[in-house]
Amino acid sequence: MTLAPSILFHIGSFPVTNTLFTTVVVDVIIIALVIAFNKTLSLYPKGVQNILEMVYEYFYSATKEVSSKVDIIYPWVTTFFIFIVISNVLGQFPGFETIRFHAAGSGEEGVPLFRTATSDLNVTLAFAVISIFMCHLYSVKYTGVKGYIGRFLNFKMFPIFLFVGLLEFIGEFTKVISLSCRLFGNLFAGESVMGTISSMSIWGIPLPFFCVPIPFMMLELMVAVIQAIVFAMLTMAFMSIMVEKH
Amino acid sequence: MDIIKDILNLFGLEGKLFIAQIINFAILLFILKKFLYEPIAKMMEERKSKIKQGLDDAENAKKALIEADNQKILILKEAKVDADKILENTKKSSESLKQKSSEDAKKQAAEIVDNAKKQAQDEFVKASKQVGSMSVDLSKKIVSKILSELFTEQDKTAILSKAVEKIENGGYEKTTN
Repeated sequence: MTLAPSILFHIGSFPVTNTLFTTVVVDVIIIALVIAFNKTLSLYPKGVQNILEMVYEYFYSATKEVSSKVDIIYPWVTTFFIFIVISNVLGQFPGFETIRFHAAGSGEEGVPLFRTATSDLNVTLAFAVISIFMCHLYSVKYTGVKGYIGRFLNFKMFPIFLFVGLLEFIGEFTKVISLSCRLFGNLFAGESVMGTISSMSIWGIPLPFFCVPIPFMMLELMVAVIQAIVFAMLTMAFMSIMVEKH
Repeated sequence: MDIIKDILNLFGLEGKLFIAQIINFAILLFILKKFLYEPIAKMMEERKSKIKQGLDDAENAKKALIEADNQKILILKEAKVDADKILENTKKSSESLKQKSSEDAKKQAAEIVDNAKKQAQDEFVKASKQVGSMSVDLSKKIVSKILSELFTEQDKTAILSKAVEKIENGGYEKTTN
């Protein structure tokens, strides 16, 4: 397994990687859920509606607890969660890594057709950049340009707050790195562990025969949900801090 | 700069893929916002208001029930008082009616008895008168028969008239005895 996603084919000059392919699969699942939800939408919830309402309610109320701008923040938070959790859990399904695709120059074994979308740094970095960029955009919108700049450039108690502002400024970049690398690292490591455990064997008998991967699968499922919640909650925290006046 | 390039290559970071993911997320956010969050929010609001209305209705119904119960008790009380009054009135009126009717009956009975007494007396008087006249006739006949054998026509008439006179005066029995 490589750090970089494998390129399946090119559309023009655009490289279609296996993570992008899985992203589209996740999109299809989400859209199918939304369609199913809208078809069975009723006052007396059942099935899909129950689950989606639960997710919505959870993030809506959590956002409401920490911020007054709940209507602006919760769509981002909930969307991050829904995409990441479906992508992560989907990665635990059979077929990931095992279904191979013969791409140009991929050799005899080919490359995996599916790979967890969030185990690609392109995806996690894109999400982190969106998250932090929107934080700053909302900060400018709701605290004003002066308030926004004052967050980083402050001459109160010179030079202490100037230094604090500098740290804050650097912090914004580390936020992007920490958000993206945390998610990427967890998912990539999980996939690697699963791949390694599944392909190991004792006395010529593969380990899956002894049910060895099962505890790892459970761990991975936990990580899948926890990392999705962590990403969503951190986005919520950053946004709620940035939209309030300093 | 080469190191950065190497790192980017190692992680497979590519501008096109990065931008594709951002666009993908934007589309997803739009879809979810429009077709998931808004309907859920609307539905929950509707449900909330419906539940609230239901609870309010239940509360109102409970209040109404209690009120109705109270009213029922009140009405029953009033009805009992009314019934007692009516019963008492009835008792009183029936008693007075009874008294009156018994008095009337007594009066009527006394009247009847009086009438009967009067009638009986009248009858008696009438009868005694009749008996008197009958006895005078009878005496006349007896005396004239006896006297016709003992006296002359002249004496007979004198005595007869005398006797008749006496009888008529009520002294007949004394003279004959």
